Amino acid sequence: MNHTLHFTVNGEPYEIVAASHHTLLQVLREQLALTGTKNGCEAGECGACAVLIRWPGADRFEPVNSCMVLAPEVAGAEIVTIEGLAHDDQLDPLQEAFIVTGATQCGFCTPGILINARALLDRNPDPSDAEIRAALVGNLCRCTGYIRILDAVKMAARTRKEALR
Amino acid sequence: MSQAPHHKPQLSASGRKPSLIGTSPLRIEGRAKVTGAATYVDDMPFGPALLHGMIKRSPIAHGLIKRIDVSKARALPGVRVVVTGQDFPGYTGLYLKDRRIFALDRVRYVGEAVAAVAADTPEIAQRALDLIEVEYEPLPGVFDPEFGASPAAPLVHPDLGNYECAPFIFPQPGTNISNWFKVRKGNMAQGWAAADLIYEHRYQVPHIQHVPLEPHVCVAQQDVNGKITLWSSSQSPFAQRNLIAKALNIGHSQLRVITPYVGGGFGSKAGVSIEGAAVALAMHARGRPVKLRMTREEEFYTTFVRQGLVAYIKMGMTKDGRITAVENRFYWDGGAYTEYGVNITRAAGYSGSGPYFVPNIHVDSYCVYTNHPIGGPMRGFGMAEIHFGIEQHIDQMALQLGLDPVQVRLLNCLKDGQETLTGMIMHPTGLSQCIRKAAEAIGWNAAPPPQDEKSHKRRGKGLAAMWKAPAMPPNPGSSAVVRLNEDGTATVSIGGVDIGQGAMTAMAQLAAEGLGIRVEDVRVNTVDTDYSPYEWQTVASRLTWSMGNAVLQAAENARHQILQTVAEAWGEDINDLDIVDGQVVSYRTEEARPLRDLVIYGLQRPDGTWVGGPVVGQGRFMPEYVTPLDPETGQGPRAVVHFTTGCQAVEVEVDEETGEVTVLKIVSAYDVGRAINPEMVRTQMEGGAVQGMSTALLEQIILKDGVPANPNFTDYRIATAVDAPLETENIIVEVPQDDGPFGARGVGEHPMVPTAPAIANAVYNTVGVRISSLPITGEKIWAALHPQEADPAMTPV
Amino acid sequence: MQPFDYLIPGDHAEASALLAAGNGRVRPFMGGTDLLIRTRGGFVRPQAVVDLKGLPGMKEIRPGDDGWLIIGAACTMNQVAMHPLVQARYDLLVQACNSVASYQLRNRATIGGNCCNASPAADTAPALYCLEAVAEIYGPQGIRRIPIAQFFVGPGKTALRSGEFLTSLHLPPSPQDARGVFNKLGRTKMGDISVVSVAVYRRSGRLADPTAPATGEWRIALGAVGPTPLRAAEAEAALMQDTSPAGIRVAAALAAAAARPIDDIRASAAYRRAMVAVLARRGIEAVLADLSAARAQLPAAGGAS
Ligand SMILES: Cc1cc2nc3c(=O)[nH]c(=O)nc-3n(C[C@H](O)[C@H](O)[C@H](O)COP(=O)(O)OP(=O)(O)OC[C@H]3O[C@@H](n4cnc5c(N)ncnc54)[C@H](O)[C@@H]3O)c2cc1C
Ligand code: FES
Ligand code: FES
Repeated sequence: MNHTLHFTVNGEPYEIVAASHHTLLQVLREQLALTGTKNGCEAGECGACAVLIRWPGADRFEPVNSCMVLAPEVAGAEIVTIEGLAHDDQLDPLQEAFIVTGATQCGFCTPGILINARALLDRNPDPSDAEIRAALVGNLCRCTGYIRILDAVKMAARTRKEALR
Repeated sequence: MSQAPHHKPQLSASGRKPSLIGTSPLRIEGRAKVTGAATYVDDMPFGPALLHGMIKRSPIAHGLIKRIDVSKARALPGVRVVVTGQDFPGYTGLYLKDRRIFALDRVRYVGEAVAAVAADTPEIAQRALDLIEVEYEPLPGVFDPEFGASPAAPLVHPDLGNYECAPFIFPQPGTNISNWFKVRKGNMAQGWAAADLIYEHRYQVPHIQHVPLEPHVCVAQQDVNGKITLWSSSQSPFAQRNLIAKALNIGHSQLRVITPYVGGGFGSKAGVSIEGAAVALAMHARGRPVKLRMTREEEFYTTFVRQGLVAYIKMGMTKDGRITAVENRFYWDGGAYTEYGVNITRAAGYSGSGPYFVPNIHVDSYCVYTNHPIGGPMRGFGMAEIHFGIEQHIDQMALQLGLDPVQVRLLNCLKDGQETLTGMIMHPTGLSQCIRKAAEAIGWNAAPPPQDEKSHKRRGKGLAAMWKAPAMPPNPGSSAVVRLNEDGTATVSIGGVDIGQGAMTAMAQLAAEGLGIRVEDVRVNTVDTDYSPYEWQTVASRLTWSMGNAVLQAAENARHQILQTVAEAWGEDINDLDIVDGQVVSYRTEEARPLRDLVIYGLQRPDGTWVGGPVVGQGRFMPEYVTPLDPETGQGPRAVVHFTTGCQAVEVEVDEETGEVTVLKIVSAYDVGRAINPEMVRTQMEGGAVQGMSTALLEQIILKDGVPANPNFTDYRIATAVDAPLETENIIVEVPQDDGPFGARGVGEHPMVPTAPAIANAVYNTVGVRISSLPITGEKIWAALHPQEADPAMTPV
Repeated sequence: MQPFDYLIPGDHAEASALLAAGNGRVRPFMGGTDLLIRTRGGFVRPQAVVDLKGLPGMKEIRPGDDGWLIIGAACTMNQVAMHPLVQARYDLLVQACNSVASYQLRNRATIGGNCCNASPAADTAPALYCLEAVAEIYGPQGIRRIPIAQFFVGPGKTALRSGEFLTSLHLPPSPQDARGVFNKLGRTKMGDISVVSVAVYRRSGRLADPTAPATGEWRIALGAVGPTPLRAAEAEAALMQDTSPAGIRVAAALAAAAARPIDDIRASAAYRRAMVAVLARRGIEAVLADLSAARAQLPAAGGAS
């Protein structure tokens, strides 16, 4: 069964035809060629596929694992992927901090972690160490040991605060 | 070009003190990785012609294939290719040719490939698999390496005697032992006689998986001339080209392997695993590209796993803590095919003493075929497994003798000039320094904090040391090309892969240093075997050292070409010239000229003619001094190129009621020779330590009669951000390596080697129980603390 | 994943008809965090899934009559945990919801899906058992309501009949002085499926002396130690008599005795049983501590009573 869907990704409107059983992850990667969102398990466990989504009528963007969302569900939704985190070549403070602190190694987990970290800072601009860890518990990273990732999120939180001042 | 190692490790070619070595420029591909722009194989577009490959797998652990019928699958609309073992009967393997791309007459593990299909969609491919009929005659299996090594065991490879193998591998035909590595040194009777305490214990390490976040994936395509291109998430583009070309009987230049970014490997993407099947499909796909992508489930047991180990360790010690004798038997659960695993067994053998001076030692390291998943290389290459036992053993004996485990380690650890167990003279090493620094950083001698009597949580500390040599054939080569561009920047081509460890950045630093330009002006290419120079494999923590030598040499070669041109054009002595910040400068005339003016078009001589031309530097490196070892005694002058040594210390908290362990702090100290990029070295230490912690506390592929029970993240848990230690400290020790670039040696694998025994020792220190098998689960600790409540059949400690 | 259709029903009746006609091959779909995993694994092969989230009331949390709270079955874990009405009175449920998986999974996983999947380890179940929630079911015969403890029938089995689906969970009033603690033990420190879980809930009846036995009610529910979640009735009764440290130990032991654990790849039965006692005792202690702290804050309660 196919569905004609309208939604936006990173502010751009799209109209596509998607199969019922395809996931948002598949749509992003295979139909829209937005391959920054990664497939690490297709089981909701690794977080590599995380994107931000604002459902029709919802007041804010929330992170979800896109492998756990069926394509036809996103009709009318707004989606932000890793490709939409930077603006006009201006990296998000989180992206900047990930480079500076050495929070990315192989980089495969990085898009999902950045998405989730961004959602965290949007809802809690000044998270404690424990809050950052808890918010990222569903994002597996096999390379870094997480410590630099925590450092990066803290650094980005500071940068964002200073930018607000 | 000279092949001799550099004998000026501390200085750059100009004789200057290096200015970029020991600095920490940021990861050069960082921006690509944080923006989602970095392209991994699965991200590459192949258009609608792309076929989706899938593999039909054996549901049984051991059996004969009586019949395969693929006719229904072939008839399914949308199915374009179906291949089976009949189509590709040749053997392949890195050190022992014991493996086929598809099983032909016999399956040897659950998940073994028996056929493959390529279809227009994954859904059709999946249905086609269901339509393939395979009839098996089950055979009794081997699920335990000790049993497997015994005469009672059924043979997994009756043809072992006919397999081709490397000269340093010793299969035992008529048994399941595919390699037996022996060390016989000293006089055991004397060694035992000199001991005041002799202690023997059995340690067990289960199969685990590497869990790269990116599962294996590759795409293969054949062109009209028969040439095949393979896009592969690989640590070993050249080894894949070599092994697949040989297995399929095609020329090496007829196979091109391209490796873009790789989402982690940890050894699982070394050698060949799924790629042969993709190429086999592509050879029948009439020019259409075929993608083979492992699901997470397939990743867990059909690519490579880390071998299991049963280790018997027997050690003698004097009452003042000196080791007098060691007798170790290692039974490796090599799985169904040990083409790669045989060399892990060998490495464990020649490192079988741990990093200690042992005058009298016997080691028997057996690689045993079982009907388990294929054991392959994993970060540590046998060292994490053997150190789990060795490092607990040292602790246990020290404590039994009333000695401080740190002092016992300092007393026995190998020092410069001492003989290793294989008779090699130990090169300068910072092992003692590492042990001292790690102990100090964890507060080894500090008084324990006061215990809250009401709390069920206890704190304690543990420590473990390690050594590891690059495990490889005696002569693995590296090569590099450094090309200068019109704008004075340089492009470095290498055949090694950045799998996250930071190789590209380190190579950029070495090239920049060798040339005299800025790191920002160096590009490093990912690998394409048609254009990249040869590299053996991205394994063995060897890139910084081996490929680094090649890159440095190539850069210096380019530098020399440039200076020669300038010297001739300017009529100067080359020794008065230098390249600084992208400019050629003359110390004599103080004239300066930017590289962009001369690296392509050359320079004009005073008479108006031109000299020079496009600058292309080349470099290569291959160790030329490793000697064979005596097959009966394991003795020889130089078993390996070098050993990287180190030590970790941990502080843990144990909940006495639940057995849960919380790792509070991990200190890592390694002798890296020279840190080319210290920050990146620290991130390797940190990432490795947490991976080691994860394997120590959580990880195991649960196998029941060969069937994996937990091939998913739900039940194969790995450490999360919440499990990561509260604190890490990463200490770099630098005792230079004589043939490393600027003294560097590798450190990629080492950081996870001593973590498990350090944690085990800390658990003992905290609650007084010894956990001799991994993982050190809360349940095992609880069972040891509450024997009257536990069920020993369900919770063996 | 093998293809299936995705259907959005116009109303409850249509949903019910679709499910009934599908005869097991048409599946209710909410967050999909169980269903998609099982479909990918080939354990279920739906012809179609029926997305129930858009039906009226499914995503709503609203007060019912007489102090009850009604939670739509399609409310996500995050939605439940962050809702002021839930936070005000049902902190036990907040803890349970927050213990599930990860933040981003909790944006998909629904409380109703958790119940309908009927895993013995379902993390909201022990809390719902303690709160004595009532499941509202829509079906061909209309609406029926059953206690949550009757909803869970066995591993993966619910009381739902053909054409029926869960529409909401009704929580009875929970007094202001009620306290609950949910503890779960996983292999990793957070987000794991429960190896054992224990919810402890105390309706003190009299905040003036919350620790006094024999007033109000104690409730204890266990997860992952039986074919369904379980109440530990004897442990509850024991606490009514004695909440001294010795009494707590007795109750914890009775809770462990009530468990009917099995050996599996996550843990042995023996370990699970022992952990029930540990988590129960810690839960009871935490509830008592919480109550004492609340009492200390009461303006006039003082030591008088
Ligand atoms: C990575 C991961 C981690 C998890 N961790 C936890 C955890 O820590 N604790 C925990 O308890 N669970 C956990 N789960 C399981 C799962 O997330 C929960 O059970 C979740 O609440 C299910 O809700 P859902 O909306 O996603 O259900 P769905 O998958 O949509 O549905 C679940 C089942 O119920 C049926 N169903 C759905 N809605 C209805 C209805 N209204 N009426 C009748 N039948 C219906 C479906 O057909 C399906 O069989 C985890 C799952 C994943 C993927
Ligand atoms: S790919 Fe979606 S969570 Fe792993
Ligand atoms: S950087 Fe490789 S998995 Fe996180």
